[in-house]
Amino acid sequence: MGPLTYFGEISTEWNYVIALFIGMAFGYIMEASGFSSSRKLVGVFYGYDFAVLRVFVTATLVAIIGLLYMGYFGWIDYEVLFVHPTFVFSAAIGGIIMGFGFITGGFCPGTSLCAAAIGKIDGIVFTIALFVGIMVYSWIYPILEPWYNTGNLGHIKITEWLGVSEGWFVFGFAIIAVVLFYITNLIRKKIKPVHY
Amino acid sequence: MSKRYIVLTLLLVGSAFGLTQLPEKGPRSPITPQELLIAVNDQSRFLETHFIAKRLIERDPSLFLIDIRMLYEFEEYNIPGSFNIPLEELLLPDWEAYIDQDGMDIVFYSNSDVFADQAWMLSKQKGYNNLYVMKGGLNEWFRTIIQPTPPDETAPTAAFEKYAFERAACIYFGGASAGVASVPIAKKKVTVRKKEKKAAEGGC
Repeated sequence: MGPLTYFGEISTEWNYVIALFIGMAFGYIMEASGFSSSRKLVGVFYGYDFAVLRVFVTATLVAIIGLLYMGYFGWIDYEVLFVHPTFVFSAAIGGIIMGFGFITGGFCPGTSLCAAAIGKIDGIVFTIALFVGIMVYSWIYPILEPWYNTGNLGHIKITEWLGVSEGWFVFGFAIIAVVLFYITNLIRKKIKPVHY
Repeated sequence: MSKRYIVLTLLLVGSAFGLTQLPEKGPRSPITPQELLIAVNDQSRFLETHFIAKRLIERDPSLFLIDIRMLYEFEEYNIPGSFNIPLEELLLPDWEAYIDQDGMDIVFYSNSDVFADQAWMLSKQKGYNNLYVMKGGLNEWFRTIIQPTPPDETAPTAAFEKYAFERAACIYFGGASAGVASVPIAKKKVTVRKKEKKAAEGGC
């Protein structure tokens, strides 16, 4: 997170206003793509709907391609983008917990808010549980802290870690994504369709 | 599969492939034009000669003076402890380690502060930190430290204190001897004792 421009051409207040509109657009598109339905979301785990996978992988690709091009043409300062430090073990454990939550609950945090916003009861329950979870986590954080901070690799990008150029990495990722889309499409055709 | 998907897929893969074909960009300036403009307008890079003299006298190890005049000028006179990098050679890779030092205050000086400021600008564009310019250059240095002029008698105490520092700094940097400004020494009265007359000795 950070201001859109760092020389104050856009004031802090307007940054928030723009953030609000981006958030609204994000929520709208998520709802419009059907991501407020837990059946669609868990479809990726049961193999009858891969929309989530496609959307997220495509979004990642579009974002990274756009960022690299814009950085190359000097429209954005690619170098000042904040890279979160990577904690390998806690990321893996967190991913497993998140995956379980995703299958059993049928939402991820963003989509649960989206579902709650359109009045879905499961979405509202999930959202309340989400905050309870956050609270419980905060209470037991001192116990979990050593786990939380293990495997710190620092502010590292995968291209730096692998030692490949960003362009070739993204190209490889795009090829993998296309293959993935093709395979998941084959799986979807084999699985008995679920109507919801 | 519909035609739309094929077109979109080709677009995605094509633009990703395009990334690999971009020609290498030259080394990017670590400082943006806006940042440079803000730095140029910031007058805090100019350091007073008094301040530098004080730090030199205190043997501040974090101060690094760079004389950017020609070598013969440097040999003729330089501030003790300074290092000579002529302005023309400033960007040579040999000098990079001297100018790019975090934790050191790099102070440029020339005869005035014009060339020193140019050196500051060039170094700043390379993204180095803690760069300063000695305000007024060596002319100011001579005017204040080497040949300080006493303030008017009606000047405030601070001016006299400053002058006292200048005098002391002047002595430190070899501009004058200690005795010049001291109080005129009163002539010692030499008392000559009159010789007592002695009775004539001897005789016949």
